[in-house]
Amino acid sequence: MAAKPIVTSKQREEVVRGVPTEVVCTAFSNSILVVVTQYGKMGTLVSVDPSTIANDISKPSLTTKVLLGTDEPLIHVCAKNLVTFVSQEAGNKPVLLAIALKDKSMEGIKALQELIRSCQVW
Amino acid sequence: MEPQQQQQQAAAAAAGSPRHAPEGAPPAGISLHDFCGRAGEQLVHFHAMRLRDSLFLWVGAEPALRSLAVAMCSPHDSIPVSTSLLGGASDTISNSLAQRLARKTKKQIFVSYNLQNTDSSFTLHIENRIKEEMMAFPEKF
Repeated sequence: MAAKPIVTSKQREEVVRGVPTEVVCTAFSNSILVVVTQYGKMGTLVSVDPSTIANDISKPSLTTKVLLGTDEPLIHVCAKNLVTFVSQEAGNKPVLLAIALKDKSMEGIKALQELIRSCQVW
Repeated sequence: MEPQQQQQQAAAAAAGSPRHAPEGAPPAGISLHDFCGRAGEQLVHFHAMRLRDSLFLWVGAEPALRSLAVAMCSPHDSIPVSTSLLGGASDTISNSLAQRLARKTKKQIFVSYNLQNTDSSFTLHIENRIKEEMMAFPEKF
């Protein structure tokens, strides 16, 4: 049975600072799945959750948790940099991020942000 | 690693895996595939994302992501190893479905099973629907 997709996905393939990169964003009703890969694989899986603190009018702070893969500080930094705007723009939804990066430089991350933005499904 | 070797590897990576690419198709990157099926009275949606040597498969009736498990074959055991990533350890269906598909495909499999019905005959039906689609569109899995 062919299907009209129930979830919306957008995907882009681009060379970012010399590295072939793929991005796939999928919108679920309760979260956004973002895959950013320079190895073609899921790599490290990080859940990025906006913590809701009552009586706090400022933007919610994001909690990052590595669900699968090496839990190193840089991963948390990359995750927050890459998808904070996704969570905020989606109305503070949690983001599930799969990242496998060869280039973790600040310039690289900035370029990847733009690539993620071009796959906007939220 | 020699620069030349690096370049070759980069070129190979850029070209992607030619395994299932038909003539004239773009290089095999991540492929997305949606399908659905009927299990009993329920219309069930499937969303598959094929990556390099791995597969992400979402199953649900409404577009929520509530559970996630991963499974992969182990050299030490005939039963693939699996673990829950989201939704708690009680989510045995995502786990067992991921294990069964890992055993069948030899790939790393992520499964998100989001249906209320966890009846074994129902889940078997779901599994068979997935396998049927895998047979029909092997390049998508």
